[in-house]
Amino acid sequence: MAQWDFSSVLANSDALLVGAVGTLRIFAICLVAGLGLGLLIGLGRYSRRRVFYWPATAFVEFFRNTPVLVQIVWFYFALPILAPFTISPLAAAALGISLNSAAFSAEIYRGGIQSIERGQWDGARALGMSFLQAMRRIILPQALKRMTPALTNRAIEIFKMSTLASAVAYVELLQQAKLIASLNFNPIEAYTAVAVIFFVFLWPLVQLTYLLERRLARDE
Amino acid sequence: MAYQWDFTPVFANADLLAQGLVNTLKVTGTALACGLALGLVLALLRLSRLRLAAWPAGLIIEVFRTTPPLVQLFWFFFALPLIAGIEMTPFLAAAVTFSIQSSAFFAEVFRAGIVSIERGQWEGARAIGMTHGQALRRIVLPQAVKRMIPAFMERAIELMKTTTLVATISYADLLFAANEIAQKTFRPLETLTVAALIYFVVITAFSLFARRLERRLAVSGESTVH
Repeated sequence: MAQWDFSSVLANSDALLVGAVGTLRIFAICLVAGLGLGLLIGLGRYSRRRVFYWPATAFVEFFRNTPVLVQIVWFYFALPILAPFTISPLAAAALGISLNSAAFSAEIYRGGIQSIERGQWDGARALGMSFLQAMRRIILPQALKRMTPALTNRAIEIFKMSTLASAVAYVELLQQAKLIASLNFNPIEAYTAVAVIFFVFLWPLVQLTYLLERRLARDE
Repeated sequence: MAYQWDFTPVFANADLLAQGLVNTLKVTGTALACGLALGLVLALLRLSRLRLAAWPAGLIIEVFRTTPPLVQLFWFFFALPLIAGIEMTPFLAAAVTFSIQSSAFFAEVFRAGIVSIERGQWEGARAIGMTHGQALRRIVLPQAVKRMIPAFMERAIELMKTTTLVATISYADLLFAANEIAQKTFRPLETLTVAALIYFVVITAFSLFARRLERRLAVSGESTVH
């Protein structure tokens, strides 16, 4: 039987801190890029114009139907052959996770926009608003409220996905745990510590999502 | 810079890719079967009025839904063997991790499905003398499972995508095989592109099947849960 001893993990808390910063950095990048790009693609999926609809649909189908780890590995090992620049682990992982999240969140945006009653559009247009004005001032604010639980869920998924960046050796929490485990021969404590850190950080967010879902169900 | 695409090294190693795909399906199938069974057990425990049963089940579900699957995989592969003093193979670690991980999600689908069945169905079953277990097995679950099918399909697709994580612990799945070939032939662009396309074809075929099934359920007037 192994003796649990977290002192070797605590002694390396500065390494974990560096990892936590790395995790938060890639999370922030992918959250903004993924959900931002997702809105554009979601609008494309909603559009009746074929020039917008088809590329957006192809994008969504491709990135939803391939595993995100394959995307990250592709961006890291395959893309530099086509592109005239080297690609950092952060860039490769952030590209993979952002594009993947964009595809999933696009469907959330599209669903949210579609759920708004036609009358809201008609009313906004009757007031003389252009399509974009109606979208920005009338439709999106209402749709965003309905989408909040699903988008929060996406954010949680992005946070969990950030661990995949360790596959291309980006320095984040899991990568640091690997390092600590291999230097101190304490995989039990190192991986347990990281699992606990993720749980403690994400659990309140998950509870918040449940709360938002319940509140939305009650309001509607 | 015009890059010369050359797919011959990939085709020369098609057997490795095929074996990788078989291994991917093997992990997915094992985790799906175990995950569904364990998910039903977890859901029933969580719905139980006994706190002693509901609480641990709830904890397992929350922990495995909330922590990243890659952390779970590393834990089962690197930490568990030391704690339990057992030998761990990459396949076993993957099967255990993804079974429990997916069971946590399946449990929530089962729970939503069971809860969605009207009280009258329970009462009717009890009125004709069925025990709780009989009512569940013969009346409630058959109706609930039908509503859960789309959500199950969605989870199964997620599961197949998640199994690519086993490549990080050197299990020879499709991604791992592609990486091996890429390193051996110095053709990462072609190999990884082909691997991505294989995943795309398999997963798209599966999700088209799922969509068709969902439409058929919708036509038969069946509501679904998510």
